[in-house]
Amino acid sequence: MLILSLLWLLVGILVGLLANAARLQPASWGRQRWLVIPGIGALSALIGGWLCVLLLGRYVATPMALWIAVFGVVLVPWLRYGWAYALTRRRSHQESKSTSPTTMTSGDPSPSQ
Amino acid sequence: MENEAQEETKEASSVLVAGNAAHAKPKRTRIRRLGNIVARVVLVLLFGVGFFLSMLPQGRATARALLILPTVLLASEPAPLTLVNDPVRYTQMAIPSRDGTTYLDIYAPTTPTPLIPGTRGGMLIVPGVGDYRGNAVPQLVNLDLALAHTGLVVINVTAPTLRKYNLSTQDSDGIVQAFQLLAHWPGVGADRVGILGISGAGPATCLAATDPRIRDQVAFIALLGSYFDATTFLRAFGLRALTVDGRTQPWHPQPTPLMVMANFIATALPHYDGTLLVHAFTPGGPPLTASDLAHFSPAGLAAYRLLKGDEPGQTDANIAALPPEVRKQLAELSPSTFIDKIHAPIYLLHDRNDTSIPFTESREFAAALARIHHPYDLAEFGIFEHVEIRSGLGLGQLLGDAPNLFRILNEVLLPGS
Repeated sequence: MLILSLLWLLVGILVGLLANAARLQPASWGRQRWLVIPGIGALSALIGGWLCVLLLGRYVATPMALWIAVFGVVLVPWLRYGWAYALTRRRSHQESKSTSPTTMTSGDPSPSQ
Repeated sequence: MENEAQEETKEASSVLVAGNAAHAKPKRTRIRRLGNIVARVVLVLLFGVGFFLSMLPQGRATARALLILPTVLLASEPAPLTLVNDPVRYTQMAIPSRDGTTYLDIYAPTTPTPLIPGTRGGMLIVPGVGDYRGNAVPQLVNLDLALAHTGLVVINVTAPTLRKYNLSTQDSDGIVQAFQLLAHWPGVGADRVGILGISGAGPATCLAATDPRIRDQVAFIALLGSYFDATTFLRAFGLRALTVDGRTQPWHPQPTPLMVMANFIATALPHYDGTLLVHAFTPGGPPLTASDLAHFSPAGLAAYRLLKGDEPGQTDANIAALPPEVRKQLAELSPSTFIDKIHAPIYLLHDRNDTSIPFTESREFAAALARIHHPYDLAEFGIFEHVEIRSGLGLGQLLGDAPNLFRILNEVLLPGS
């Protein structure tokens, strides 16, 4: 299982590098993103692989590690970005409320890709 | 993403500011954008392939087939595939059946049953005439292990009559009992078990699949190098020829099927005829002399001529001269007689150059299944020597037959996936 786990880590890193090439990460992450995304990919693949061993069996664990890694490198930055976006909006909303209590505000738009 | 758009806008604006030196930059930006798109497409494809192979039953069957195919084609498991193998426990059992003791070789994964779908698939393999207990045939053990390593429980059945190089309808009882044992094996889904009948075990396998005890449970029947009608099979012996697509071509059978047929017919002949017939067709046995044949009964002589193949013009007359009991048993051991009683889909595999059982038998089987609209598939190969992968095959030959084998494997593995 150790070799298989290392294989999943490698798959995840490769998927992360591909995600970097696809520029799926927020620019606000700066230069660190080149390391963070492969890390997320590796971790997702490892979790996906082990989950699959428990749920479906070892023979399909590598395909599952693959798609979970892709899912991870796409979803995690999106969630991180969406979370930060929502926090900023909320903060600015509260600030505008405290400075001009009579102003009407519309609902926050959801983060877009 | 929004950030990415901002980045690209920044890049674009810097291009405008930079003047002449920036002529190359729009081109570089276009290449970078193209690279982004290609990377995204690759990610989508990887996601799709990974999701299909792990989350959908068809995909899991494909994953299994992809893992098993190289092992079958190369007749040994490639080292990288051992990484994904489930550990397997091998045990032996013996169960009493109608015609004697049926021996079982069991290969079961030791890992817990996967939570999805909650049960394992199983495959019963009936390997044909001869004694297959233990590790007698490396290619069979290789197949057993390849299947078990992907999470299936596999049982090899050595039926009592087949073990003695003979044929009997009674062997189907041992197969039915072995099927029931596998269907109730811990973790195995009762409706996810199929049977692979190899060579002379095909008819007994089909007969077992008509048994009311298991008829509606059998997920599939796969037959490798088997026959459809025992009388046409015997006719091929007598003629020493096959009719393929309307053309007659010579066909010279191997000694083993002749010996099996001699053993089968001998039981219904007078003792003297039966004993000499069996001796004559045992590999290395003494040839019969004219004086031996002079003492034969007409039925014994007809059987000898049929198996010897020295009276091709008299083949039909010789078949008609066989004892009525033999002709009755030939019919009982022919899937053509009870084809309509089989409920499971049937997958037929046969090598075109098979010299033990004519491949035309599987073609006739397929034609009959098509006539009654029974689910089936037929794959013809050139890589088998009867039922084992030939040694010394080129990569081209192996790859040529790989798609056909993959298709059948995929179909057979679907119920267990």
